[in-house]
Amino acid sequence: MLIALASPISVRAERLRRSEIFGGLDEADLMAIAEFCVEERYHEGEVVLAEGAPAEALFVVERGKLALEKKIQIGRHSTPRNATIGYVEPGKLAGFSGLVAPYVYSTSAVCLEPTRVIRIDGPAVREYLEAHPAAGWKVITSVAVLIRDRYRNSIDTLTYFLSVVSHELRSPLAAIENYLQTMLGGYAGELTEKQQRMMKRSLLRVTDLRSLIGDVVDLARMRPEQIQADFEWFDPGEVGTESLEDARLAAAEKGVRIKVEPPPKFEPIVGARRRMRQVFTNLLNNAIKFSPSGSTVTFRAWYEPETLYFEVEDEGSGIPPEDLPHIFEDFFRGDSAGETPGAGLGLSIAKKIMDAHDGKIVVKNLYGESESGTRFTVVIPRNLQTPEMRRQAWMATDEQRING
Amino acid sequence: MEQKPYILIVDDDPDILEGILTILESQPYRLATARDGKKCMEMVAQDIPDLLILDLLMPRMDGWGVIREMRSEPRYAGVPILVLTTVVEDASRRRYELETGMAMDVQDYVQKPAKPAELIQRVEKLLKAYAYRTRQSNFSPG
Repeated sequence: MLIALASPISVRAERLRRSEIFGGLDEADLMAIAEFCVEERYHEGEVVLAEGAPAEALFVVERGKLALEKKIQIGRHSTPRNATIGYVEPGKLAGFSGLVAPYVYSTSAVCLEPTRVIRIDGPAVREYLEAHPAAGWKVITSVAVLIRDRYRNSIDTLTYFLSVVSHELRSPLAAIENYLQTMLGGYAGELTEKQQRMMKRSLLRVTDLRSLIGDVVDLARMRPEQIQADFEWFDPGEVGTESLEDARLAAAEKGVRIKVEPPPKFEPIVGARRRMRQVFTNLLNNAIKFSPSGSTVTFRAWYEPETLYFEVEDEGSGIPPEDLPHIFEDFFRGDSAGETPGAGLGLSIAKKIMDAHDGKIVVKNLYGESESGTRFTVVIPRNLQTPEMRRQAWMATDEQRING
Repeated sequence: MEQKPYILIVDDDPDILEGILTILESQPYRLATARDGKKCMEMVAQDIPDLLILDLLMPRMDGWGVIREMRSEPRYAGVPILVLTTVVEDASRRRYELETGMAMDVQDYVQKPAKPAELIQRVEKLLKAYAYRTRQSNFSPG
């Protein structure tokens, strides 16, 4: 519930002056903008603005406190929840989206305590600032500064978070895994069958958690520029062999055979070597995961003039058609994944890596008389450039331009 | 009679140390532990190990510091080093190489947590290679 209060226009103008983005405006501009303002009071827990709704207004907090929230849903089937991503305190502004297209709120703002705000009509203030460019310039500059500060702050937070996650969370897990393996290996005395089974399960869960942490950190770092900065010449045959090594243990444990069909000769290509290995390893592990015991996973590669192809084919039951459009999404796990371990990040990481290579991953279900399964084809362009090659090319065109 | 190979294990995490000790106690080795790089170098100065198992991120002196000191002292330069770490990113390795101007001179690199059988196998391999090299150099003149 909200109560609109009629305060004198000069009082509203004074309050605008004390806010973070209208502070630098002249008296006349403040008085004019105050015309589009009303004061509102909210109870604790009330929603001032809702994520996804049309951004019709901006809000300056006068008293109290707002929490900015974003809806988070991991996977299609999980329950969405709200995560608090920031707070707005007196003098600060919520609802920047009221100033910039497409005028849709990107977060929700919820009152943490009884809160008084000034509500500024979005379309009216936009129209006023357009008609008064000097004032418009001042406001837009303050907004740019604010956004820059928030952006920098969020990058710092992310970097800090990533380093904490990658080391501080993984270290204790490594210690636990180490103990479990030591005990399971019989190095700390005999175990009963039941103890052994429970420890094996614990080990599985802990290993899963550790690889999930690795994947989440990876995902956050997976920006195309970062991947492209690592482009170098490498032998794809070598990388393929390393991926086979990565996947061999899982295949052996599951009783899955890996058949390899390499080209007659591997030619070097340009790409992010370590990332490419991740693509092949993820696809192989994925295929093994969904393969019945005793079946075969085929890993093949061949060249065409412009393109190098890698293919991973399994004899599993295929991907349900309704899941096909989603398998490359973050955290997606099809219903058929059931007890199969994993967080659903392997394929989305592989796709992001291939996107950075201007390549793609094509997935196809195989239904034949005698065969079933899934085939993932990795398409890698052969004309990619290392940063050094790009620099050389750039200098050459520059010289051409100078020499006319 | 052959002496038991002497292995020094360096890690700041006491649980990791106990786990590794428990695994390696199954083998005929003489084992000792240190919790940071400084302590490690003190112990190496007293008694040169046949193998160093080394964590990278540690207080006081980190693993990179230990490698640097080990390689710059002729008496220890040949001691094989098995790096055992949760840090697997190439970036940290590259940074080390840029900072020191030398390749990270370690014989082996195992991601934590090491599987017991794999750990024993790598340790055996490094010890054998080291023993072989040491015998060779004893035969060489001067």
